[in-house]
This record gives sequence, C-alpha cells and structure tokens, in this order.
Amino acid sequence: MRRKTTFATVAGVAAVTLALTACGGGDESAGGDGAGGDENTLTVWAWDPAFNVYAMEEAERVYQEDNPDFELEIIETPWEDLQTKLTTLAQSGELDELPDIFLMQNNAFQKNVINYPEIFSEMPGDAVDFSEFPEAVLAYSTHEGVNYGVPFDNGTAVTALRTDVLEEAGYTVEDFTDITWDEFIANGEDILEQTGKPMLSGTAGSADLLTIMLQSTGASLFDAEGNPTIVDNEAVSAAVDIYTRLVESGILLEVNSWDEYVGSFVNSNVVATMQGIWIIGSIQTAEDQAGLWQVTNLPRMEGMPGATQYSANGGSSWAISANANSELAADFLGATFAGSTEFYDSILASSGAVANWQPAGESEAYAEPLEYFDGQPVFQLVVEYGTQVPSINTGAYFYEGRDAVSAAITTILNGADRDEALAEAQSTVEFAMQ
Amino acid sequence: MTMPTAPVSTTVAPRSAPPPSGGTSPSAGRFSSLGGRRSLIGWFFLIPAAALIFIMNFWPMFQALLLSLQVGRGANLSFAEPLWFNYERMLSDQTFWMTLGTTMLYLVIQVPIMLVLALILANILNNPRLRFRAMWRTAIFLPCAVSLVSYAMVFRTMFATDGLVNDVLLGISVIDSPVNWLGQTTTAQFVIILGLLWRWTGYNMVFYLAGLQNIDRSSIEAAKVDGANAAKTLWYVTLPQLKPMILLTAIMSTNGTLQLFDESYNLTAGGPANSSMSISHYLYEISFVGNPNFGYAAAISYVILVIVAVLAAIQIKVGDKRD
Repeated sequence: MRRKTTFATVAGVAAVTLALTACGGGDESAGGDGAGGDENTLTVWAWDPAFNVYAMEEAERVYQEDNPDFELEIIETPWEDLQTKLTTLAQSGELDELPDIFLMQNNAFQKNVINYPEIFSEMPGDAVDFSEFPEAVLAYSTHEGVNYGVPFDNGTAVTALRTDVLEEAGYTVEDFTDITWDEFIANGEDILEQTGKPMLSGTAGSADLLTIMLQSTGASLFDAEGNPTIVDNEAVSAAVDIYTRLVESGILLEVNSWDEYVGSFVNSNVVATMQGIWIIGSIQTAEDQAGLWQVTNLPRMEGMPGATQYSANGGSSWAISANANSELAADFLGATFAGSTEFYDSILASSGAVANWQPAGESEAYAEPLEYFDGQPVFQLVVEYGTQVPSINTGAYFYEGRDAVSAAITTILNGADRDEALAEAQSTVEFAMQ
Repeated sequence: MTMPTAPVSTTVAPRSAPPPSGGTSPSAGRFSSLGGRRSLIGWFFLIPAAALIFIMNFWPMFQALLLSLQVGRGANLSFAEPLWFNYERMLSDQTFWMTLGTTMLYLVIQVPIMLVLALILANILNNPRLRFRAMWRTAIFLPCAVSLVSYAMVFRTMFATDGLVNDVLLGISVIDSPVNWLGQTTTAQFVIILGLLWRWTGYNMVFYLAGLQNIDRSSIEAAKVDGANAAKTLWYVTLPQLKPMILLTAIMSTNGTLQLFDESYNLTAGGPANSSMSISHYLYEISFVGNPNFGYAAAISYVILVIVAVLAAIQIKVGDKRD
C-alpha cells in the first residue's frame, strides 16, 4: 500500500512537471487568418487609453457602419512594454504571437524596420493613399522605398505662449511669430527682466529642443545613409550654441523630470513651451489658464540653409504585423485613419488627436476656434504647419544619437569644450554602431 | 554525535550486489534488490526538482554564455570572430567603465554604512526594556515592503528642485537657493545612496534581529558580570556570534548592489549625462532602449556574474573562520 502511494506521488509530480514544460509550447490556434483568430477580428496593441486606444475604438465604430461583423480586440500596451515585446518576439521567432496592428513611435520606426523586418507587413494593394500625408511624416515609416506605417499621432511642433504674461511685458504673440532665435532670445531676456519668468522649460540634458531645432532646418544627427553626423555639423553646433545661450541667460529653465516639466507651465512658472502639438493635452489640464494661451510657429535658425519655422517632435504610426490578416487590416486603416473625415472629427472633439491626414484639416471641426486658446483655430494651424516640416532621416540609431548628444549638452553646460564634447558623442554613437 | 549508518549502507548496497547471473542488462539487475528500488524512488523524487532547476536556471545561463559569444543586430546573430569579441569590446567601452565605477562606488559607500546602521538598530531594538519595540521594528522594516518603483518616484518628487527637501532646507536657512539634487553628478549619486539606505537597512536589520535572538543571553550577562561595558560586549561577545548573519547580509547586499536597477532607472534615469547609471541599467539600455545588442548585453551580465562570484568568495574566505 505504501509503495503504491509513493509511486502515485512520483507519477503525480512527473505529470505536473510535464504540464509545466508543455506550457512553453504556445497557442497553436493563432496565425493563419491573422492574430485575431477569425476573419473579421483584428487585434491591436496601443498605449494611452485616453488617446490612441480611444481613437482605435472610434475607428472601429466608424468602420462597423459599413462592415457590421467587424470587431477589434484592443490590448493596452505601454510603449516601453510594446517595444520590449516586439524585440523578444522577433528575437525568439514567435511571430504568431504578434497582433494584427500595432502602434509604433515614429522615432523608433526605422530602428525596428531595419533590425526586425520580419515583424512588419507591407501595405497591400492601394488601400492607403500615402500622397495625402505630409512627406516628413511618411519618412519615419519608409525604408528602402517601402512604407510600413499609416501615420496617426501628429508630432508637429508649436510654440505655445501665455498671452497674459506677454502683455504684462508689452509683447504679443505676433512678436513671436516668424522670428529668429536671436529675436527670441532678445525678447526672452527682456521678459525675464520684467516679469522674472523664464520663457521655456525643459528636462535637463534632454535633446528634445535640440532635435526640434535641427529638424526645422532639415538637419539630423544622421546623414541620408544613417551615419552619425554630430561632429563638424554646422546645424548641430549652432543648435548647441543656441541651447547653451538659452540656459545661461536664464531663458530656459532646466528641470529634472517630465512631471516637473509639465508642472512648470501648469503652475505658471514659465511663459511658454515648445513641443509637439500633443503637449496641449497637458497644457489644458490647467483649467484656470483657459483663454490665456495661444500657439504660433517656431523661431528660425538664421543663416542655416533650409531654415524654416516648422519642425516636429514625437508622433506615432500604425503598423501592420507579419502575422496579420493584412487585407482586412489595410482596408480598415485605409477607410478610417487614412480616409474618414467623420472619424477625425469625432476624435478631435473628445481627445484632441490631431490628424496627419491632410484632408481632415479641411473639415469644419478643424476650423473651429478653441476657447482655451483664445479663439484660435489651433488644429487647422497645426495641420498647415505639418505640411511645411522638413523631412529628415532619423536613422536606426536615433536613440543612441539622442542620448549621446543629451550627455554632451550636460557636459558642455558644465564647462566642457563644445567641439570636444560633440566629438565624444559622435564616437559614443559610432561605438554603439559597431 | 554519531552518524546513522543504516541509510548509507542501503544506498551503497546495489554497488556491492553481485551482478545478475543471466540478466539482459546490468542496470535492470541493479535496481532489482530492495535497496536498489529505494534508490530508484529517491531519484524519481529528485528528478522533477532537478529538471526544473536545470531548465529554469542552468539552461538559460548556458544559453546566455553562448549569446555572449555572438554578434549581430536584431535576430540576425552569428558567432563572433574572435569568439571573445564582446568581452574585448568592453575594454574600450567608456560607458561600461563609467557605469561599473558608479556601481562600485555605490557598493563601497552604501553597503558598509547600511550594515553598520542595521547592526546598531538591531541592537537597540533587541533591548527587552525598550518601549513600543514591535512598533519600532515594524516602522524600520516597513520601507522594504514598499514597491521599488513607487519609493523611487517619491524620492524623485522629494528631491525635485521645488520639492520637499529643498523647501525644508530653505525654511531652516541651511541653503539660500534650491539645490538641483538630481541634476548634478555628486548629489544625484548621493540621493540614490540615501534611497538605498532607506529601503534596505530595515531588511538587513531583521536578519540581525533573528541572529540576536539566537544568542544565548547568559553569554552577554556573563560579560556584564565581568565588567565589560556595552561597546565591549557588542564587539567581543555579540558580534562574533553574529558573524554568519553578517556574512550572509554582506553577500546579499553586494549581490543586490551590483544588480542595482530600479533606483538608477526610476530615480535619476541614469542622469545627469549617465553619471549615476548602474551597470544593470546600462545593460537594459543596450538591450531595449537603443538598437538591441543582446550578445554584448549577455557578455556584460557575465562580467557582473564573475564580479559577484569573486566578491562573494572573498567574503566567505574572510568571514568564515570555522575550522
């Protein structure tokens, strides 16, 4: 009897072990018809429930009007997790775990397409008319002539200013429209002296403002072939000089984290902020400042070839995975994110998601004056700015470049020689590229 | 104490058993005796655990070793030429040396302070005459029950330029303008060390408390009778008996500090200019933030493993004087 129990125990333990091992096998049912399993369902990975996930839900609703059987299964996945998941799935070759559609940060698009081409699908047929998107935005998701993404979130950069503080110092938004950085600094010094408030704030050592400046001239940290061009690059040196002047004159308040950055303008500690248009979501959390903000274009880097008043920061695009029901996915994206004014109008009102799709900008909803921004038709302005943003190559090593330049800015502000620090940044990126 | 001999003889028995006379295979006969069958059952019990440990621990470690010998981006990996290329690469990687140096700095400064502090606290809280003993113990232990991410966030808010710490220091006129704690190399590292102390001192203290409970009070009383003061009692009577615990906490803290990630990632984000970044944080950046270079990351993790192993070996050698 006792022996029997012992063997039963052994057998039980062995069975559990086998079952545990079998868990790693994965679900065989995925794949074939796409990640959703049945032919009318698409799975989507996206972050931010109030913004991207909400937009997807609205798109589902719009698409269902003509395709009543259609369904979306949206899985909220923060950006860092999404990137980690994509990397591990690609690395392990478990491509049948991919969703049909996933959201991709524009700045990370090149990196992922170049490192893991096997996780993306080409847009099939002519479901999406890419000519209706700004060229600069398409460049993020285009690799070797093939476009892998439908641009969504608009990253066009604006200068948002507090009109009441400007007025106090005798300025208007017009004084900050179509100006150069020299004029911006001169105005900023005067306003700082009169009101005690710096013009801008930014996370210390962040290269955001620098990359915004660079793109406004059509320059990047990388050349067309993706090689780093941090050293001996007139635009980079000029942008670093402007940044240094901003900090040293006290016009740019450096803070340590994103929450502090948002806090600086929500708490009226600075006069303005320069950022991708998506920042207006954060600005509008300060309800007491309604009617006191306006937006305008960016200062121009004078003397630089190709200098404009327009640039971008951030933004994201929808990609179709290699495991997708790609016909349906492309048709869905083409009919909503790249083809429905009704859709963009509905998400604009409730989430402030501005379209990259140019025809959306012509609709009445975009021309609507925004009370918070003193009656300005901000969305129409932004779509119009977006068409004038110079196109650049972010390269596969955008994040390495950005981090190296961020470190260089910190050491330069601490007294290091500009050219030496930039040369070191260049060698850091080159080392990472080996 | 005498060793029980019976179980030993049963396991040895199959070896000395005579080979089966007309058996087909020797192994079938080996387990035919009663002792043999018992041994077989023993192995059956061991196999699941051993297999799990092998599959979950050793196989990944072996794969990581193979990975550390490979180069390539994304999923296109191939064996390096020469094989140790990733290890060679480390020698010229300035960020690697910087993060290694920073991690060592945390180790050298924070671990001794923390362990001494934990010892002192444990001694105070072990005093049976102390009032509200349970409350003090809980209060000091509680920080290590707090989520790593949330405490890092709280520290970051407290040490912001317009945060609580600056407000208090300004209020009592210690400083006359806000200090940018997280924006300067030295202060950022200081905040990380402070965070580590707050989070882990109580944890180590609990080990010492457990150790102190096991010390026979009569040895301490004897020391008192002989006229030793509190400090001498601690040094000559208590500490020697706590040695195994001190060794354990030292090894765990060394191991933990060398793998430090959360504080560096959440509290300072490695800044300014990567100067407070720990080596594990750097490893994460190589794998997931920039272009994934898993081969190089695996090589760095093996170097961490070697450093941990060497330091632990030294500590065991120094700390364990048993004959």
